[in-house]
Amino acid sequence: MARRRRAAAPKGRDDDVRLIAALVTFGVTSMILMAVMLLAPIVKVGPSEGELAPDFSAQAYNGGGWEDFRLSELFDKGWESGDEGNWIVVQYIDTDCPYCWSEGELMGQLHSQWNQKVTFVTVVVELEIQGHSSSREEVEAFRDKTSFDGCKTNSNCADRPGNTHSWTYVDDLNLRTSGDWELPGTPFSALLQPDVIVAWNPQQLGNHPDGEEMEGALQRLVGGS
Amino acid sequence: MALDIPLIVFIVGLAIASTLAVQARSKEGEDGTRTMLDSGLAFSVVGLISSGWTYAIHNSILESGETTMCASKGLVQCGSVIGDPEWNNLFGIPWGITGLLSFSLLFFLFLSLRMDMHAKWAESFTTYSLLAGLAGVPFVAFLIFVELTQVEGAPHICPFCTVAHLSLVGFLIVAYIVRERKQNDMWA
Repeated sequence: MARRRRAAAPKGRDDDVRLIAALVTFGVTSMILMAVMLLAPIVKVGPSEGELAPDFSAQAYNGGGWEDFRLSELFDKGWESGDEGNWIVVQYIDTDCPYCWSEGELMGQLHSQWNQKVTFVTVVVELEIQGHSSSREEVEAFRDKTSFDGCKTNSNCADRPGNTHSWTYVDDLNLRTSGDWELPGTPFSALLQPDVIVAWNPQQLGNHPDGEEMEGALQRLVGGS
Repeated sequence: MALDIPLIVFIVGLAIASTLAVQARSKEGEDGTRTMLDSGLAFSVVGLISSGWTYAIHNSILESGETTMCASKGLVQCGSVIGDPEWNNLFGIPWGITGLLSFSLLFFLFLSLRMDMHAKWAESFTTYSLLAGLAGVPFVAFLIFVELTQVEGAPHICPFCTVAHLSLVGFLIVAYIVRERKQNDMWA
């Protein structure tokens, strides 16, 4: 009697094709990435000198009320070195920080001296430190030097050194931008060229003349005040 | 926004992938499975290239504040979506890169299956493909939510992002059918 044989199920290949598939995938992805870089090169974004400053959008107070603000709207991308242009000082503060409290006077002086060539932007954060608790009312009072108890933890904002500030204060109390800016603490200020490139970061001491602070950087880089 | 050439190419790519899937449904056995895998590969390639394109738009907007690769005004545009500093990245990684990596994984899974349909690991790869496709769905839903409600001047629709989203949905449907074929002995 003839024996019936079951048809054998198709067998896979002897070699494992997954390695080849992985190599092909790597190749295809690399080719796409290379094409992207040819079309639009990767831009280094960060707070270090020579990098593109991290953009942000948030609500900002300009003395009248809170409005949408986007840092990149201040940028002049067509600016070239040597051209006239509007430079930007980005200052990070915490309204409860005593150093920020005393720097308020210096910033007022710098603004008086440089406001024709430099736009000042103060970004207010709330550092995760006990006793540091802020609010939009406190931000307004810090900027406008109006009566409000709570600046520098338990001082009245009206007593802040210096004059009323007339530039934009940005609400970043929930620290959304601090990561991109690698915020080392407050106060922190950086000077940006009109085309958005970071020109001066106080953390990069080796790049500057000894002991240079913001005033010196403004004099050296913007000049003509 | 006028239909520009890259967008037309992507739409054609999606149409080819969909046509392959429809054709595969009417074919039985190994031939149908192979065509279905081709369809999934086509969806993942369209996803890969469209993700790369959105990454190029991202870089272009960073570099010059605007882009010629996509409109930046109106309802259908990329500028307010890919150019939004708050929503254009996932933990600092541009969405285009996230898309590239994700579609690479999907491409690898289907390419492996296509190269050896009868391998011992084929069944598990059909499951991995479906799970990987499903894992992308919450991200697509989130990104559509962001486009429609969160970006500056919302609602906006980014056409190239939508191509990537449709690629994932297409891949997911194909991955589901492929897994069904495997489990119901319709594989070969």
